[in-house]
Amino acid sequence: MSEPLLSVRRLSAGYGATTVVRELDLEVRAGESAVIIGPNGHGKTTLLRALNGLIRPSAGEVLLDGEEIAGRPSEQIARLGAVLVPQGDGLFPEMTVEDNLLMGAFLGQSWRDRRRSLAHVYDLFPGVKARADQQARTLSGGERRLSALGRALMRPSTILMIDEPSLGLAPVALDAVYGAIAELKSAKTTILLVEENFTHVGGIADSIHVLEMGSITRSGSYKELSEDEGVVAAYLGSIT
Amino acid sequence: MTDLVGILVTTVILGSIYGLVAIGMTLIYGTLRILDMSQGSMVMIGSFVGWGILVSAHWNPVLAIVFAFAATFVLGMMTQLVSVQPLMGRRKAIDFEMVTFITTFAVAMILENVALEVFGPQQRNVTPVVSGGVNVYHGVNLPYQSIAMAAISILLMGGLGLFLGKTRWGMAIRAVAQDLDAARLMGVPVSKLYPVTMGLASSLAGVAGVFLGAQFFAYPQAGDLPLLEALIVVVFGGLGSLPGTVYAAYVIGLIQATTEVFLGTTWSLPILYGVILFVLIFRPQGLLGKPSEARL
Ligand SMILES: Nc1ncnc2c1ncn2[C@@H]1O[C@H](COP(=O)(O)OP(=O)(O)OP(=O)(O)O)[C@@H](O)[C@H]1O
Ligand SMILES: [Mg+2]
Repeated sequence: MSEPLLSVRRLSAGYGATTVVRELDLEVRAGESAVIIGPNGHGKTTLLRALNGLIRPSAGEVLLDGEEIAGRPSEQIARLGAVLVPQGDGLFPEMTVEDNLLMGAFLGQSWRDRRRSLAHVYDLFPGVKARADQQARTLSGGERRLSALGRALMRPSTILMIDEPSLGLAPVALDAVYGAIAELKSAKTTILLVEENFTHVGGIADSIHVLEMGSITRSGSYKELSEDEGVVAAYLGSIT
Repeated sequence: MTDLVGILVTTVILGSIYGLVAIGMTLIYGTLRILDMSQGSMVMIGSFVGWGILVSAHWNPVLAIVFAFAATFVLGMMTQLVSVQPLMGRRKAIDFEMVTFITTFAVAMILENVALEVFGPQQRNVTPVVSGGVNVYHGVNLPYQSIAMAAISILLMGGLGLFLGKTRWGMAIRAVAQDLDAARLMGVPVSKLYPVTMGLASSLAGVAGVFLGAQFFAYPQAGDLPLLEALIVVVFGGLGSLPGTVYAAYVIGLIQATTEVFLGTTWSLPILYGVILFVLIFRPQGLLGKPSEARL
């Protein structure tokens, strides 16, 4: 098989003296949709922050498309095509929704294509278009989520990472978000999702990784893990 | 009626100049979270550039403005690289606002004393950028210099507003001010953006210096009073709020102009500061500031 697009080896990261992510290993292949699930506070967000250079890993290596990115600043990792929708959305609160989207296209080539990308995002999320001139800080939680996801689509990504796409979304918005993710997947975008459980990811997950106490404790296909009683009991979510 | 016209004219002139210096400080505070004490030196250097070009070299006034802009832009970038950038990485571990308050003040003291060494302590007259004037209303005379000063200030503030509102790099500056991590995720090269922002802000102060030099004089301490006034405007407007800064600049100009006309110059400062004291006690966040965090 081909080299993985994202390869994480023995990665450790945390805040100050506390280590949150511990010697974590993970591989994501090009075109694959990987989902990380795990309980609150076990390090999912911290992992994504470390992968994107928002915090400096204390040990280990991260290869993105063959390039070592561990310890590099966030803006450089972005240049290599990593896109993150962070927990809490990271919208610019005093900017309009449209200006937020435009910032998503900040990097060179994307900026030239920004009008086309904008039209595409508005097409995908009419609800975001309706709020185009509204300040981001006045949006509802669901509108924020969709705007943040829309902003992530404003430039092409080698890997798209989303921290809890389903958080706080009502069913209609949830369908819009997972519809968009499914479309990206069929366009062969490499995706790394974080979710608290696998209620919503059955249709799109090629692989699922369970993150507990800062390490991946279990990996497999959706089918494999959904037949594992221990995993099901902990993570299948409320639909069972 | 004559009073009213006089007040309006003075308000616009004072407000425009206060605004130009203060808006740079606000831009810097909004993006870098520092009160840049070197902004006064940029005014001082602008006034010496004005003196050098207008009086010494007898060149075109437009050149004075362009040179002052360029010189203080470069100097502002260098100030950032020397006194702020080395501390950026340890921002969370130190009292960043206080330490940079001192480091930028240190730069200001160095610049002031270099100017003292080079130019000496004497006050130098700077020729007005434009001479002559116009009688706008019975007895209210308006020098062209003041019109030019107000017009260029307003033009620069408007230009800055457009730059921040509509252009790629201007939006990036706002993005950094509002959410640093998110801006980096968008690919904004923050370590390059910071010095450029400080250069830009300094160049506004530099241009103000050319005009202030003609209004008063060019001398090594020429920036001290403008710095203090700008600080007051910035806090009064709401730390980090650009519209608030412009608003505050004209409000302060208006208060000063009104008291000068009705009560005389002696009363203008005590009353101005009385109003500021009163407003800040009831609105510590300033006129347009947000109680929580300042943002561009
Ligand atoms: N800035 C920070 N400083 C110190 N500790 C932090 C910080 N951010 C997170 N932590 C701690 O790191 C641990 C992991 O947090 P993280 O946000 O990665 O969890 P998570 O798996 O994403 O949880 P959730 O599902 O609730 O989002 C938690 O114990 C948290 O308290
Ligand atoms: Mg999280």
